[in-house]
Parts: sequence; C-alpha cells; structure tokens
Amino acid sequence: MEQLRMSLRLKQEVMDTEACTRCGLCVGLCPYIKTMNERIAFIHDCSREDGNCYQVCPRTPTDWATLDQAVFGEARTDQVLGNYAQILYARSLDRGTGESGQYGGVVSALAAFMVESGESEAAVVTRGEESGPPTPVVARTREEILAASGSKYSASPTLSALNEGVRQGLNNLTVIGRPCQVLGLRKMQSLTGVSEHNLSARQVNFTIGLFCFWSLDTKVYSLFEQKTEGKAVRKIDIPQNFVVLTTDAGEVQIPVDEVREYIRPTCLRCFDPTAEFADVAVGSTEHDPQWNTLIVRTAKGKEVVERAVAEGRLEIKDYPAARLPLLLTAVNNKKQRVVDGMARGEAGYEYLILNSASFAAAGRED
Amino acid sequence: MSFLSLLVNEPGRQVLMSGNEAITRGAIEAGLSYAASYPGSPTAEIVTNLGRLAKTHELYAEWSVNEKVAIEEAAGASFTGLRSLCVVKHNGLNVALDSLVSISIGGVKAGMVLVVGDDPAAHSSTNEEDSRLISKVAHLPILEPSTPEEAKQMTLAAYTLSERVQLPVTLRCVTRLSHGSGNVTLSLIQPANKKPVFKKEDRFVTHVAFHQAQEIKLAKIREAADTLPFNTYTGPEDAKTIIIASGPSSLYALEAVQALGLAGEVGVLKLGITWPLPEKFLLKHMKHAEKVIFIEEIEPFNEENVMALAAQHMTDIYPIQFFGQHSGHVAGPKGPGLGEMDPDIVKRSIARVMDTGVAEAEAAVATTNAVSAAGVPSAGIPEREMAFCAGCPHRASFWAMKSALALDGRNGVVLGDIGCYSLALRRTGWSLPQTMHAMGSGAGIANGLGKLDMFGFNQPVIAVVGDSTFFHATIPALINARYTSSNFMLVVLDNETTAMTGHQPHPGLNKNAMGEDVQGIAMEDVVRGLNIPVSIHDPYDVKGTVETVYKLLQSEGAKVLILRRVCALLAAKAETRPRVYVNQDQCIGDDCGCNRFCSTTFSCPATIWDPKKGKAVIDEVVCNRCQVCVSLCPQGAIKVEGGDQVAR
Ligand SMILES: Cc1cc2nc3c(=O)[nH]c(=O)nc-3n(C[C@H](O)[C@H](O)[C@H](O)COP(=O)(O)OP(=O)(O)OC[C@H]3O[C@@H](n4cnc5c(N)ncnc54)[C@H](O)[C@@H]3O)c2cc1C
Repeated sequence: MEQLRMSLRLKQEVMDTEACTRCGLCVGLCPYIKTMNERIAFIHDCSREDGNCYQVCPRTPTDWATLDQAVFGEARTDQVLGNYAQILYARSLDRGTGESGQYGGVVSALAAFMVESGESEAAVVTRGEESGPPTPVVARTREEILAASGSKYSASPTLSALNEGVRQGLNNLTVIGRPCQVLGLRKMQSLTGVSEHNLSARQVNFTIGLFCFWSLDTKVYSLFEQKTEGKAVRKIDIPQNFVVLTTDAGEVQIPVDEVREYIRPTCLRCFDPTAEFADVAVGSTEHDPQWNTLIVRTAKGKEVVERAVAEGRLEIKDYPAARLPLLLTAVNNKKQRVVDGMARGEAGYEYLILNSASFAAAGRED
Repeated sequence: MSFLSLLVNEPGRQVLMSGNEAITRGAIEAGLSYAASYPGSPTAEIVTNLGRLAKTHELYAEWSVNEKVAIEEAAGASFTGLRSLCVVKHNGLNVALDSLVSISIGGVKAGMVLVVGDDPAAHSSTNEEDSRLISKVAHLPILEPSTPEEAKQMTLAAYTLSERVQLPVTLRCVTRLSHGSGNVTLSLIQPANKKPVFKKEDRFVTHVAFHQAQEIKLAKIREAADTLPFNTYTGPEDAKTIIIASGPSSLYALEAVQALGLAGEVGVLKLGITWPLPEKFLLKHMKHAEKVIFIEEIEPFNEENVMALAAQHMTDIYPIQFFGQHSGHVAGPKGPGLGEMDPDIVKRSIARVMDTGVAEAEAAVATTNAVSAAGVPSAGIPEREMAFCAGCPHRASFWAMKSALALDGRNGVVLGDIGCYSLALRRTGWSLPQTMHAMGSGAGIANGLGKLDMFGFNQPVIAVVGDSTFFHATIPALINARYTSSNFMLVVLDNETTAMTGHQPHPGLNKNAMGEDVQGIAMEDVVRGLNIPVSIHDPYDVKGTVETVYKLLQSEGAKVLILRRVCALLAAKAETRPRVYVNQDQCIGDDCGCNRFCSTTFSCPATIWDPKKGKAVIDEVVCNRCQVCVSLCPQGAIKVEGGDQVAR
C-alpha cells in the first residue's frame, strides 16, 4: 500500500471522486472534516499519518466476508439479502408512530421503544425541514423521534449527530441509518488497535437500517420547491413511478424520471440496498403502505423485536411467500449491476472486497 | 521624548525626538494650520500628534478618507493662505498622484508641505517604492532629511520654499528617519496667518498653459538649491573618490569612510535637496573626483539624475567614473536597489569600488558587529512568525471563510487587500488570499472575476477588505458591481479601527483625529444605499459565520458581509474579560485526533503546547481572552473561568 496519509487518501479516494455516501461518520471525528448541505469536506489537511476517518469510511476498502464474521460471527447463508434470522411484515401498534411513520412506522416505533424503555439514551434520527435538506438530530424523547419520522430521499450525513451526541457524553444509542451508514458504523465497531477515543459507534447499542436503493443530490430540493411553489413539504414518498410530495394543500406528483439526474453516482456503486449489517432492516412492502418489510438480522435485533411485540408496540406477520421473489430479484439485480461494473473494471468499485462467500453471481433476472 | 515636549516654546532647548516628532514640531514652528492624512507607516505618528495638539495650537488635523482627498484638502487650505501639511506613505502618494500632478500645475499659495514616508525593505508595507520618482513626475522639489534635527529644519525650509515658488514641496522620509531618534533644537513657534481668505482674483487651475510656469518655478528652485544649507561636503577638497548620498544613507557613508580609514581620501557629498539638484555644488566636487559612488535606497534616483548632469558637463569634469546600482557595486545581500542600506553594506560597497579594501571592509564589519553583539542580546531570541495577534477576529474570519469555501467545494477564490488581514497570506491565515495589491484592489478584481460567467467561470469569489479600506477605496468598486451585476461577495473585516497603522479612527467611527465626537457613517447604510444586500455577523461565532458565508456563496450577484468584531488589542485594553484556560484533565493531547488543532492549526499565539504534560495550555500573558478557542476545541477542554461562556 502506498504511504499516503490517511486523511489525504480519504480526500483523494472518496471525497474528490464523489464516492462519498455522505454518511457523516467522519464528520466531527476531528476539527477538520465538516459538512454543509450534505457535502462533506476537508477544511484543512490535518497531516496525520493515521486516521480513523479513512478506516471507518463505507467507501474505503471493505471486506464483506470479514464484516459478516464481525457482525454475525459466521459467513452468510443468503447471498442476496445477507444474514438474517427472520423476514416479516410488521407495523407499529404504537399510536403516533404508526400514524406519522413513512409506512408502518416500524422504525420510529422501535426507536421510541429503545429510548422509552431506557435501553438507549437517545436515537440518532434525520428530521425533515419544510424545505431543503433534513437535519441530523439526537432525539432523546419519543416526541423528537416522531418529529423525525418519514423518509427524506437525500443523503443526510446523519452520523455526524452520533459523533456529536457521544461527544456530549451520551451512551447506548439507537441509530437509524441508510445501509452505507450502518456499514460505516460496523466498520468502526470492529476497528482494532486504535485508541478508543471518538469511536462513537461503540456507544451504539441498536442499529436500525433502512432499505435504500439510491439517494438524491440536495439540488432536488430546488426542484421540489419549484414544483410545490414554495409550499412546505410534509412527506415525500416514491410509491412507483412518481415522487409524491405531500403539502398542506395536497399532493404534487413528479415523474421519477425527472429526479433520476439527481441520483448520487455513489449509490449506483452500492452493493447493499437492504442494510445487511444492521440489527434490523426496514423497508416498504411495495404494495401495502400500512406495513413494512422487516428483516430481523442479529440476535440483538431478534430480541428487541420480540420484546416490542410482547409489549404491544409492534405487530408482525409472515412475509408473503409470493412476494419474496420480487424482493430477491430487485436486490439481486442491483448487486449484479455492481458486480458487472466491477468486472468491466469501471472506477468506483475499488472499495468492494467480495469473494464467493459474499456474493455468488446469480445472473440478472429482469 | 514625551509628547508634551512638542508643546515647549523654549528656543534653543534640545529635545530627543523621533523624525516624525521633529517634523510635527517643525510644522508647528512654521505656524501650520491645516493637516490632512491617511494613516500609513512609517509616517502615521505625525498626524496622530497633530490631532492631539489641535486645541492648543489652533490647528485642524484630520484623518481623511484617503490620500487623494487629503492632498486636495491641504491644497484647499493653502489656496486660502493657510500653511498646510499632507502626510502619506509611498503607496498613499500613488493614490493621490492624479490630484498631486494637477495641484502642482495649478500652483498653491501658502506653504504646502507633502511628507512622504518611504519604507525601504518594506518593514511595514507591502512593497518598497521610491516615491521620489513620483514627486519628480509631479514637478515637486524634494528635500531628504538625514536626521531628526534636519527633518525639523527642512520642514521649516520647505514652507519657505513652497511659498517662494508656489509649489507644494516634498519632504521625503524613510523608516529609519521617521522612527529613529535624535536631538532636535527647538525654535520659536512662529505666529502665523490663521485667517483664510479665498481671494476673488485667485485662480488655481490645471491647464497645459501653466506647464511653462511650472518649469520656471523648478528652475528657480534649481538656482536656490545651491544655497541651501542641507547640502554638505565632508572630506578632502581634492578627493579623487567622492560618495554622493542622501538621507540616512549619507550617515552610513560617513561612518563607513571613517571605519575604513578612508577619511583622508574619500569625500562624502550629502544632498539635502535631491530634486532639482544643486548643480553647481555637484559639479564643483565632481570636477576633482575621478570616482563617484552613489549610496541611496530603492531606486538609483540620485545616481541617474547626477549622471545626466555629468553627461551634460562631461568636458568639464572628465575623467570620471560612476559606481552605484547600475554598475552593481552598491548592493545589499539581495542585490542592487533591493532592501535598505546600512553601514556594513556601504563598507562592502565602497570596498568593491576601491582597488584595495575588501579585507579592511570585512574587518570593519566584524568590529562593528562585535560591538553591537556585546550591547544587544540578539542571540537566543526566537524568531517570531508574522501572525495574527492572539484573539484577532481576523483569524476566526479566515478560518470561517476557509471552512465555508471547502464546504462549498467550487474552488472559491479569495482576493486579499491591504491591512492587518494581509497577514492571511501567511501560515496563520492559511494563505487563503490568492491576490493582494493596493487598497480596494481586491474588490475591483472581484468585479472582473464576477463577470466571467459568460466564459464558463464558476468559481465563487470573495474579496476581503478592512473597515478603513472599505471607506478608502472600495465604494466605487461596489457601485460598479451593482451597475454591472457582477457576481461576488465582499467581506468587510470590520474591527472598528485602522488597526494596522496604530488604531487611528476612520469615517465609520464616532471620533475624529482630534479626539472629538463625530457622527460616523455606518457602512451597512452605504451598502444598502447601493441596493446591495448586506449581512452582519460576529466572526467570534465561527460556526454561524461559516453558515453565513456558505449561504451567501450560494446566492447570485454582489453581496456584502460585514464581519464585525473590535480589534482584540483594543478590546483587551477596554475591558477585563474572564480568564481562559485549558482543563488539562479534559484535553487528551495527541490522543485527540485533532493533531493539536488549537496550537498548530488555529495557531493562536496564546494556545501553546505543554510538552511535559503532552497537552495544550494557554499562555495567559499573551491571551486576549476572546474565547474563540473555547468554541473550537473538539474536546471542549478550553474553559472560561467562572463557568459558562460569558455573553459577549
Ligand atoms: C434515501 C432513502 C431511500 C429509500 N429507498 C427505499 C427503497 O428503495 N425501498 C424500500 O423498501 N425502502 C426504501 N427506503 C426506506 C423507506 O422509505 C422507509 O424509511 C422504511 O420503510 C421505514 O418506514 P417506517 O414507516 O418504519 O419509517 P418511519 O417510522 O417514518 O421512520 C423513518 C426513519 O428514517 C429516518 N430517515 C429519514 N430519511 C433518512 C435519510 N435520508 N437518511 C437516514 N435516515 C433517514 C428518519 O429519521 C426516521 O427515523 C428508503 C429510505 C431512504 C431514507
């Protein structure tokens, strides 16, 4: 490996190439990396030879098999969805979270459950604004968690708030994040041989991953503003071929094709649309907005979900067998596109270290 | 000397004064009524003192908005029969040049003296420039004092000369004269005309028709130059080698000749008036000389003028040879015409000209160095970096701009300007500015860059000026920006004073040069009046400043951001703030990952490294207690005594 400084490598390999996922995990590790408008930048070359910033970044070399071992203690059994214990449909029974959630409100319900039960001191969430990009927030109460429910389709560097919260002395946090964010967290949690200082991920005791196939550049907010004629956006959804913006005056629909140009290029190189390293991963059902898809992955995830169900916070039911192939196809296709890109030697995939244990090419099914 | 001795009216008494004080005293003795200036080193102290003397000496002293206005005002006073003074530094004379040339053509009435401070080696300037060339362009006589005593006498003589030919007269000073001290013999403070009248029949007009009159005036001075007491010759009347020098260089020449044991061989001709030349005096001594050595600072001004004179009279003075900057013999370590003269450089230069003498010169240099080394404990003094003061709001401003530009990510360009904030070109301003020229130039260049979008230029542009510079030379650039819809951001680093030159007031403040309360002009009102959006922020709030700069960078068109926070040195004098300290239990030293952000990156001179503990510590003697580091320390380890941060 060339002897470039870590910070410089992060800049050159990740930031300068737009590989950055804007996860926010490096923001605030030191005084040199800052974020604004979902852009992450080095303010100044810190000149350090070492640097956790490089080690924990989800777009620096990441060995999938090693992470499987670190998180699950075993190699994966499912080449498409990653390791998991159960795949379910779920929805919140918790009044409030169910109402305000993007779909079934499972994410908010679980986060609120963790905080209200005292197991987590706070949850790291992404709160929407009436216009423009969302704000990363450390939510210490149920109200604050609810205020952040709903999906925002840009790449909020939410983990900067995790660093901030830990710096302020918080322990045992629940983190809600996109798959790239979960990846960064796990990389930080499994770091060895470095000082414990600022390893904020080690203060995370529950990780809720979101399904995510892509996120959008913040420029999309100007488009939203234009389409809604400046009205406050209460909710954003992408049910099928339309982006639906809910405002106080009703819904505004934008064809998905109109926002495609805002998809961040790094999302196209993403190998993990279902948050494979989270404790639980949550997505839509793609047909019933009252429910979520819930993939229970780790033992911790299983235990929390079981308790939430037992305490009447969550309702679960079987994942319809007929729908599983649809999910598998969607995820497999995304992964196959990445593997194809790698095989063609295209730039941007250098971070991915895959072997036959992490992905066996199944071919693309369209 | 104390400021009070400027007031003493005891003719004959000797008082120790700096060159600037001597000029002040000279002007007072000459019955000065009206002084106008824009502050600049090395001559800033003259009007500072005149302002303090205004009440007792029935005079008016002003810090003008810029040098052009200052010179025009001084001319105006002269037109009404009042003796006037205009004080500028070399760059300031450039600003005033247009008016100066015209005023010279139209002529003046009562004595008008123009003090110009040149700064060889640029101790407190951006550049070294020889203003004599400019005075020559403007057809002004130039007197060059070599000592404070002479500075006072020349000031008096300059008024007489000015009135004799009705031209302004330049008194050209250099830093060593202005700031050096010597004994000055006081003369009577003359009663003077203090009744201004603009006479019906008087006309002061620039027109080519008066060019001839101007040349006649100069010719008169040329005649008179030979009789001035300030031109001296020291040495054998038949010396085969003579040195021609002026100002403090003439003192170095005398010292060097002594030290080299050449006093019996080499004569030193000191020019007190360097334009027009005392021709008869020069020709007399060039006649016996076979070698002429010119010792002067910056440009070969005397060298070229005297050589032209010699060429004209060559048949009389042949054989003769000239040595100086052109021949390359007279040169400091950087080369001919670069940097200051000093006795050692002069010794070596003379040695280069004389066939023998190199060894003697080195011996003489060694002797003087041994003497000065014995007296001054120069060894062991650490080199001090040119850096922003502890607590300087500019450091916070530049860090915020640097941050905002990095976050913006479009390769934004910062255009610098002249003031304390020029230090940003150095390490502690992270070399952020990419240009720096004259006062207000950054804003002008920004106008240009801000119109390049039609060629696909999309880098955001920030021009940085100080508050005094804003009034001095930036407003026309803003008007231009508004008129042309140029796209840039002007950041005014408003520290509520002209800090660089010694905290003089400016038109934005509620005090004038005489200490009177006046109605200052709010720069934000000026900007609003131009219909340009203006925001104001406190740079000590670094996070908020980053956000503000970032946000403004995203908007189109010209906009102004005023980063307002009083100069840390003034603040420290004005109020007692709570102590700031590092809680070393909280600072985790090199484990932090910040790589000693406070002491090596933010680099406030007050935050230093405690090598014993391996942690940061605050040098409380240096700290001005601004508390900015408190908000930037990633560990929150820097604390304010008494707990929470105090509201500012
Ligand atoms: C950018 C993005 C793309 C997505 N793409 C898909 C997809 O293709 N297929 C699919 O099935 N599901 C996708 N999801 C997930 C889906 O939109 C829902 O978030 C998920 O189903 C949980 O629903 P819920 O009702 O439990 O959510 P809620 O209870 O409303 O909770 C949503 C949580 O997500 C957090 N959040 C919102 N926006 C972001 C963000 N940008 N980054 C990080 N956290 C955020 C909020 O803080 C909140 O806690 C995506 C989500 C995001 C943010």
